[in-house]
Amino acid sequence: MSDLIQILILGLALGGVYALMGAGLSLVFGVMRIVNLAHPSLIMLGAYVAYWAFRLYGIDPLIILPVAMVILAATGVILYKLVFEREARSAKYSEMTVLLTFAFAMVFEGALATAFTNTQRVTSPAYATDAIFIADIFIPLGQLYAGIVSLVLIAGLALWLKYTRFGYAIRATTQNREAAELLGVNVNFVGLVSFAIGLALAGAAGALVSFVFSFYPSKHWEWIAILMSLVVLGGMGSILGTVVAAYTLSVVAAYVGFFFGATWSTLTFFVALFVVLLVRPQGLFGEKPELA
Amino acid sequence: MTKLLEVKDVVAGYGDGPAILNGASIDVQPGKVHCIIGPNGAGKSTLLKAICGMLKVRQGSVMFKGQNLKGKRPDQVLREGICFVPQERALFPKMTVRENLRMGGFSMTDKATLEKRIDEIEERFPILRERRDQHAGTMSGGQQQTLAMARTMILRPEIVMLDEPSLGLAPKIVQEVFDIMKVMTEDGITVLLVEQNALMGLKHADWGVVLDLGRTLFEGPAKEVLTDPRIQELYLGGQKAA
Repeated sequence: MSDLIQILILGLALGGVYALMGAGLSLVFGVMRIVNLAHPSLIMLGAYVAYWAFRLYGIDPLIILPVAMVILAATGVILYKLVFEREARSAKYSEMTVLLTFAFAMVFEGALATAFTNTQRVTSPAYATDAIFIADIFIPLGQLYAGIVSLVLIAGLALWLKYTRFGYAIRATTQNREAAELLGVNVNFVGLVSFAIGLALAGAAGALVSFVFSFYPSKHWEWIAILMSLVVLGGMGSILGTVVAAYTLSVVAAYVGFFFGATWSTLTFFVALFVVLLVRPQGLFGEKPELA
Repeated sequence: MTKLLEVKDVVAGYGDGPAILNGASIDVQPGKVHCIIGPNGAGKSTLLKAICGMLKVRQGSVMFKGQNLKGKRPDQVLREGICFVPQERALFPKMTVRENLRMGGFSMTDKATLEKRIDEIEERFPILRERRDQHAGTMSGGQQQTLAMARTMILRPEIVMLDEPSLGLAPKIVQEVFDIMKVMTEDGITVLLVEQNALMGLKHADWGVVLDLGRTLFEGPAKEVLTDPRIQELYLGGQKAA
């Protein structure tokens, strides 16, 4: 019994990090209809920021996290202004962004590999290998901290979206872009800010990932499949859905790993992706697509 | 005759496609209800979209109180005092009624005034108070139209443009829609109405405009348009005005 509780706790701890990784992707898709396949490679950039800050200057990843967020947000502003804004009204915008961000992912991977090689890295603050014990149950401190910080950031985002004027503008644009524009929302600016926030969340996730997982430039291909399964299960564009999906799949994957071996654990996400697309393509919280 | 809005020889269309409006013109007088009628494809909805900045005006001018609106974005046109309610009502289905009303005053910076105006709207349209915590997407078509129209009043605009507000509504509800339009005019709001049900639209209007093939064919007092035999034959399907 204690094993099952142990697995549940480990699954929940990782679920928070997955939720943060997926939240930015979901926000950007919801507002801008950008399927950002480069999101995990940008998470990787955040991880390298945290890694080198720790390695060179001994700065804790949790301290450098806001810096990673700012660097990624600035990257988002530049990318958006240079690339995504000009085609925002195109009827084929989503399709174009799939190809475009796929290309970006390869460029980022190549740039990171050139700069830092493909060596596996992990940031190792003291708590990353420490744990607390409650009876027979152990909770890895690194995962616990990462899970808590993720939850705080997601809760902060949710409250901001729910109660601030700009949050209203983002939610409105997500639900009906044309209507938002007719009511005075500058949807281009909303798109810019949302894209920057989405990438800031990628930066935060990267700083956390740097001490939870080992990473190397090409690992983003593994993560994109995981993140897409979370976003599709939750419902494209639904941050709440992404969070629920992240916790659910993370816990299920942990149990699958426990019962059938670690190799099968990752498969959980892919199976979920296929099953959702077959049975409920709109996901848990998404809207049913209209038939043409 | 005082003109609040003067649309002159406007040419506009969707994207890079062919022009839908081919020199449409209309003069809008303050405080009046103007009803635009015409056959399908005449460019009625396109004209409203061109005025509010959703479509680029390729040629011609859209003068509002002496200022050319050509090239302005919808949010900028709104700030000038022109609200637009499109056919599909433009609500936020997963926001509550109260949140939708708040979005109606999005361009207002004074939060206290905004909340006060929302309270006033809820008082005038009790159904919106009853449903204030309900998601807009779960309301009936008539209630959604009430919300969409009432929401425009929060900003106290000078002109409200309504694109087929009676579309898809039961006859009894349609009358409610026109009652709301009357409330708007009592508040001094000028209404520019596009209505497929031409008879109904003209009955509630002061001025009628007939559009065809993207051009203004005929305009005049709504009663005259309503009784003009050519217009009855061509656009009212031979319906006799009561």
